[in-house]
Amino acid sequence: MSSVEEVHRVTFTVRDAIRLGIDYIKRRFQRTIINVSSIALANSFLSSLILTDLFFKTYSQLETTSLSVEAYQYWLVFVALIVSIVGITNAMLIAVYERYNEIGTMKCIGALDQHIMMLFLVESSIQGLSGGVIGYILGVLAALVSTGMTTGFDIILKVPISTILFYFVGTTLLSGILSVIASLYPAWRASKLRPVEALRYEL
Amino acid sequence: MSYDTIIELRKLLRHYQMGDETVKALDGVDLEIKRGEYVSLVGPSGSGKTTLFNLIGGLDKPTNGSVFIDGVDIAQLDAYELAWLRCRKIGYIFQTFNLIQVLTALENVALPTVFAGIPREEGLKKAEKILKSVGLGDRLQHRPLELSAGQQQRVAIARALANDPAILLADEPTGNLDLNTGMEIIDLLHGLNKTRGLTLVAATHDLKMIKASDRIIWLRDGQVEKVERG
Repeated sequence: MSSVEEVHRVTFTVRDAIRLGIDYIKRRFQRTIINVSSIALANSFLSSLILTDLFFKTYSQLETTSLSVEAYQYWLVFVALIVSIVGITNAMLIAVYERYNEIGTMKCIGALDQHIMMLFLVESSIQGLSGGVIGYILGVLAALVSTGMTTGFDIILKVPISTILFYFVGTTLLSGILSVIASLYPAWRASKLRPVEALRYEL
Repeated sequence: MSYDTIIELRKLLRHYQMGDETVKALDGVDLEIKRGEYVSLVGPSGSGKTTLFNLIGGLDKPTNGSVFIDGVDIAQLDAYELAWLRCRKIGYIFQTFNLIQVLTALENVALPTVFAGIPREEGLKKAEKILKSVGLGDRLQHRPLELSAGQQQRVAIARALANDPAILLADEPTGNLDLNTGMEIIDLLHGLNKTRGLTLVAATHDLKMIKASDRIIWLRDGQVEKVERG
C-alpha cells in the first residue's frame, strides 16, 4: 500500500483553466460570438449613456446651457443588462449540456468539481471582458455620433481622458462580473455532474 | 509494498431504484484480479458489465460491499483521493473514445498530466512519446474529428497511459470499430498488458478480445455465472 505521507493531490491551476478555456472559445466560436455580442450590446448601451451624459455635462459647463440624460434611459440600460445576463445563462447551460461527455471524461482523468467550475467561470469571464471592451468602444462611438450634432464632435477632446479611461475600466469589469454571475448556475450544474451520468449521456 | 491482488471485490451490490421497482444491476459479486492479469468481463447487455466497470473505476458507489484497489477500500476515499486514484492509478478507455474535441491529439494525451501536476512542457513531451509508441507520431496536431475511429481509440489509449496507471479499464473498446481496426486495438492492448505488466480489465463481447484474455468472467443478472481460463 502506498504510504500515508504521500501527497495524493490533483492540480489544476487558473492558468491551465485559461489555456483550456481559450481553446474552447476558439473552437466553439459561434457560441462565443453570441455571448460576447450580448454583453457587448448591453455594455455599449450603458457606456453610450454614461458618455452622452459626460459629453452633455462638459458642453453645458463650457457653453452654460443645460443638457442631460433622462432618468428613464438608465432604466432601459438596467433592463438591457438583465436581458444579457439571462441570455448568457441560457447559452452557458446549453454549453454544459453539449459537454456532458467531456465533463465526465475530465472527471475520469482527475478533475475535481471545483476544477470544472473554474473552467466554465474562466471561460465566461474571458467572454465578459472581451464583450465589455467591444461594447465600450461601440458605446463611445454611439455617444459621439448622437451628441456630436449638438456639441460638436471635438467634445471628446474636451473631456478628461482619465474619466474616459475610468469608465472603460469600470464598465469592462462590470461586464466581466455580470458574465461570471450569469454563469454561476450553469457552472455549478456542470461541476456536480457525476461521471457515470455524464459519460452515458447521449445527445 | 504492493499486493499481488490489485483489484478485490467483496459482496458487491449495486441496486437502482426505478419507480417502485428495485433493479439489481449487481447482486453480490466476489472477485480478485491479480496484478498484470488480463480479464474480460462478458455477458449479455443488462448483465452488469458496465456497472462493474463503473464501480471498479470509482465512477459509481456500491449500494453495499466493497471495492479494494491496491488494498484500499475506495469507498473510504474523499473527493481528492478519489480524483487522484482516477488520475494516477487507473486509465479509462471507452467505446465512444471520449476525446476532448477542442484539443489536439497531443493535448488530449497531455491533459491527465496537467491534473497530475506535471509541468506543461514535460507533460507534452511525455504525451508525444506515448503517441509515438501507439503509432501516431505523425498525428500529434490533429484534432479528434480529423482522425479515423481506430486512430481516435489509439489517442484514447495513449491518454489512459499518460500517468503510468497500474490498471487499464476498458468498456467495449472495440465496439465502434471495424474488424481489422478492432484487431489492431486488441493487439495494442494485449501488448501493453504483456510488456508493461499493466492489469487490463475489459468489458466486452468481442470474441477476439475474449480469446486473448487470461481469464473470462461471465456475468448474468448481476452475478458471476462462471469463470473461465483463457
